[in-house]
Amino acid sequence: MRLRSFVIAALVVSLALVGFAGCAGGGKSGNTIKIGWLGPETGDSALWGQAELATVKMMAEDYNKAGGVDVGGKKYKLEIVAYDDKGDSTEAVNIAKRLTSQDKVSAVIGPQGSGEAIPIAPIMNDAKVPCVASTATNPKVTVTESGAVNPYMFRACFTDPYQGKVAAYFAYQKLGKRKAAIFMTIDDPYSTGLSQYFKENFVSLGGTIVSEVSYTSGEKDFRAPLTKIKASNPDVIFIPAYYNDVALAAKQARDLGIKQLLLGGDGWPSDNLIQLAGNALEGCLFINHLDFDSDTAKPMRDEYKAKYNKNAELNSYMIHDSLVMVIDAIQRAKSLKGPDIQKALETCDIQGVTGHIKIGPNHDPVGKTAWLIKIVGQDMKFQETFAAD
Amino acid sequence: MAQFLQQLVNGLSIGSIYALMAVGYSLVYSIMNFSNFAHGSVIMLGAYFGFFALTLLGLPFFLAFFLAACATALVAVLLERLAYKPLRDRRAPFLYFIITAMGASIFIDNSVIATIGPTPKTFPQDVLPAFLRSGAIRLGTIEVGRIDIAMFVITAICLVALILFIDFTKMGKAIQATAYNMKASALMGIDTNFVIILVFAIGGALAGVAGVLYGMKYQVYPQMSSITLKSFVAAVFGGLGSLPGALLGSVLLALIETFVSGYLSTQYRDLFAFIILIAMLVVRPAGIMGKNAEDKA
Repeated sequence: MRLRSFVIAALVVSLALVGFAGCAGGGKSGNTIKIGWLGPETGDSALWGQAELATVKMMAEDYNKAGGVDVGGKKYKLEIVAYDDKGDSTEAVNIAKRLTSQDKVSAVIGPQGSGEAIPIAPIMNDAKVPCVASTATNPKVTVTESGAVNPYMFRACFTDPYQGKVAAYFAYQKLGKRKAAIFMTIDDPYSTGLSQYFKENFVSLGGTIVSEVSYTSGEKDFRAPLTKIKASNPDVIFIPAYYNDVALAAKQARDLGIKQLLLGGDGWPSDNLIQLAGNALEGCLFINHLDFDSDTAKPMRDEYKAKYNKNAELNSYMIHDSLVMVIDAIQRAKSLKGPDIQKALETCDIQGVTGHIKIGPNHDPVGKTAWLIKIVGQDMKFQETFAAD
Repeated sequence: MAQFLQQLVNGLSIGSIYALMAVGYSLVYSIMNFSNFAHGSVIMLGAYFGFFALTLLGLPFFLAFFLAACATALVAVLLERLAYKPLRDRRAPFLYFIITAMGASIFIDNSVIATIGPTPKTFPQDVLPAFLRSGAIRLGTIEVGRIDIAMFVITAICLVALILFIDFTKMGKAIQATAYNMKASALMGIDTNFVIILVFAIGGALAGVAGVLYGMKYQVYPQMSSITLKSFVAAVFGGLGSLPGALLGSVLLALIETFVSGYLSTQYRDLFAFIILIAMLVVRPAGIMGKNAEDKA
């Protein structure tokens, strides 16, 4: 019996050692630039996380095939250190600590969700490692509650106040809608934040919000709150949620005889949206970060399709621009040190696949274009663009 | 009034799903005296079996439905043989059964995430028979989903058949006797091992039916088993171990949930549902229909 417990203990210890050895091996870097990535490879938003990682890997291969990244006349190989945050804020915090203290990366790209990007901000600031989030649109990602800018947090996307403004402007001015209903995820800062900005702008334009109902993430039956919306008889229903919930809500709304136009934000675009929703979203509109069919997006779209045999997701394009921003900053800073890259990022002014990215004083891209997309049959058809203000 | 009726229909449609799931919990509880938390994962597997039988194998709908129920019955029996029987043979405390059930549930859920993947799937409309496709039938001012009607009917058929089986067949009597007292039943010549297998097989088959229906109504995804926790609450509410209780508890819980989220707010839904549950358990610890231990099944 004693021998058996000894053998088990020995096994456990040796397994643990092997595990540590695996981690420790990554600590040494020759002529490589280490960039950290975090995002959900599993969980509800895994589709987007996997698309991001696939894009980042593809880009790293391309850079390395071309001889690496030129920093001050010296060629560096690009190494991506990727971790799965499961779309969970606690995991994201642990990963941010691991990336900065153990892996010693030069910069971090991702996470995609505001719920993960907000809690890692203090860690990035303390470690002095810049982070460029891909689709985290909540204002608090870059600017704290007290109004101070998080020095080491940046993003490649526009923000929710801007997105909410565009959606409200479009619904009121262009579509002539006067009564709006909001259907939001109550426990998700992205959804509640975007709802609030839509509401503020829609009301200040002269519209009324006739009902504002919510659900908790993970729910699948929305008939009760949707029936409430139906009774309030709105002209348009704003749904700031992610594609999976949008698909379910749209189907159930149509089953309940709700025929109104549904309007959404950048949580909608996904290759799976239309497949999951069937024809329930026909003619509906959403705000996007780019037009998937545009010429600027084409080279990347084609390369991704050829490599992985599926369509690139919105997050593929966003993380592409995050990585381009970081590499541009490293090249201009001629340094792999966090504080130098951070300074260079503050003066970032590049052309990405999602448009012109010029970082403003709040570390957000200023004047980024919002694209309005309409769902027609199986396609997402570009309608018009909105420039800032 | 229109809104009230619509919410009533919404509530009943959720209630019939809860009921199919809750009966599986209750049945196993009545014999084994522990809550089989792996039941939710078996339901999830049922949804995937049905989905792949229809889309990959291209089987006709009813055959696929039947196969899914058989497959989950088999999974439930295997679960009993591999996970619970060794514990039973060693007369392990009931806590061990519950922990094993949770472990099995996590194991099954994660196997599906690892092999099939986490992205949700929907049943393609064209493989479903007309009466199950999405779309609603208008009755006066309210809309009743076709799938909701089908689900209500299928749930009713399954539950009536089950109650008839338990009350009027020899095997049903054996189940009742085993639920009443397993040792004495064994002494009277009932093969209690077989009864346990049978109960798991029935529970598994119901799980398969529930899974396919749930998958058609919403989506098929690996975290489905978390929703089934609600049906467990419904089973406790109605009285664990009592089949009519499971049914009543499910419908009541679903109605409370729907009306709270429809008239107050979704945020208060679970709050109210669970306050009522706790109040219920304080006043009647055995649930609405649960009598004493003697009257199980």
